[in-house]
Amino acid sequence: MSSRASSRAFAVRPGWAVSIAAALAVMGFVGAAQWNSSVPRQEFTSSAQQVLAAQVLELEREQGELRAQIADAEAEVQRFQAASTSSSVALAALNQAVAEARLAAGLAAVHGPGAVIEIADSQRVVPAGGNPSSFIVLVDDLRDIVAALWASGAEAVAINDERLVATSSIYGVGASVLVNTAFLSPPFRIVAIGPEGLLDRSLAHDAFVGRVAQRIEFFGLEFATAAAEDLTLPAFVGNTRFRWAVPVDGPS
Amino acid sequence: MAQASLTAVALLIGMLLVGQLRSQARPTEISSLPAQELSQLIETLGGRNRELRTGLADIREQLRDYRVAESQGQSALDVTREDLRRITAFAGLAAVEGQGIVLEVDGTLDAIALNDLINELRNAGAEALAVDEIRLTQRSVAIQGPTSLLIDGIEVGERFRLRAIGSPEGLLATIERPGGIISQLEQFIDAAIFARQSDGITLPATSLALVPSVAQPVE
Repeated sequence: MSSRASSRAFAVRPGWAVSIAAALAVMGFVGAAQWNSSVPRQEFTSSAQQVLAAQVLELEREQGELRAQIADAEAEVQRFQAASTSSSVALAALNQAVAEARLAAGLAAVHGPGAVIEIADSQRVVPAGGNPSSFIVLVDDLRDIVAALWASGAEAVAINDERLVATSSIYGVGASVLVNTAFLSPPFRIVAIGPEGLLDRSLAHDAFVGRVAQRIEFFGLEFATAAAEDLTLPAFVGNTRFRWAVPVDGPS
Repeated sequence: MAQASLTAVALLIGMLLVGQLRSQARPTEISSLPAQELSQLIETLGGRNRELRTGLADIREQLRDYRVAESQGQSALDVTREDLRRITAFAGLAAVEGQGIVLEVDGTLDAIALNDLINELRNAGAEALAVDEIRLTQRSVAIQGPTSLLIDGIEVGERFRLRAIGSPEGLLATIERPGGIISQLEQFIDAAIFARQSDGITLPATSLALVPSVAQPVE
């Protein structure tokens, strides 16, 4: 009996016990890697860091409120302008000129055909001795994509709904990305409106091919594109009042 | 029994792998950013918020002007005309003047370097920029042409002036700081960049027609 049981167990075990043993070995390896990579992060999350992080979150919250107030106030300005249009021909013409200037400046929401480009951090495991920052989206990548789009005829561009205007910068603070006033996180969705063939032209442009295309290939940055028939971009929301620059001649 | 065990183990492996992949990615949680990066973010976001508060105060002043005109039965013509002046200046459709800095560049700057320099000046608060007589708009990027750099289809020579209107001290301090854009470029680019403050900069309007033809306003 005991001999039968023993021989049955011996006969059955190799079918799955080996698999379990191999799986447990993989688990051990992955678990150790996970433990090793999470411990240092916890150690660095000091109380001082928590205080700083809380300040950043507070500033982001404050910025959200300020931008909402600016958007409301700008909408009220436009209501005043729209309401006064009927009062005189001169004013109607002036308001038309303001509307066109807003459109040219990126201060009006627009829609039309164009291109969508999404880029995100690589999902590959950083190899031993590799530089982790090579595997994340850098500001240079975003700048290259945007430069290729403008150079290919884009009329309007936004990154994660941050509309680009004449004063916009794409700025890196460590691995963080700031566009206009906002702190953005991946995935980055770059939407551009422009003439037919915008996407193909931008992907073939030197500004794209020269650097970011190679990083996508070498480091496996997540990347996807699509041409679209009707995209909508929001208006820029932020400070449009100059402190230092004064118009030389008012438009007639 | 065997299948159940294998399923449970596979599930655990999957969870651990997901955790491991996530740990390789960028620390997008604010609390996991390094202290130095957090300090820089606080400084940058604080500065941006101050700009936004100033901008908001200006819009509210404009609204007061509209209300005053309305309450006194006056035309809103002057207020709207001023709004047009402001927006055309912002877009680059109108010439502007003011204090700022002038960069004299001499050498072989490539398109990426010039775009980085422009981006850095914008980030430092430049309100209006021009390369020689090319007023920069949101669409203006330097690209490599057949024989030289091009901006808005116009050739840029090896010697050019990049002028920026904004706080002269702030702009100069940003680009000349140790490890800043000029010291970075001088390590990689064969070009000399000399920056100075200027009290009287006048920048032309762009020659481009910026009103879009494909993009239509959202009604």
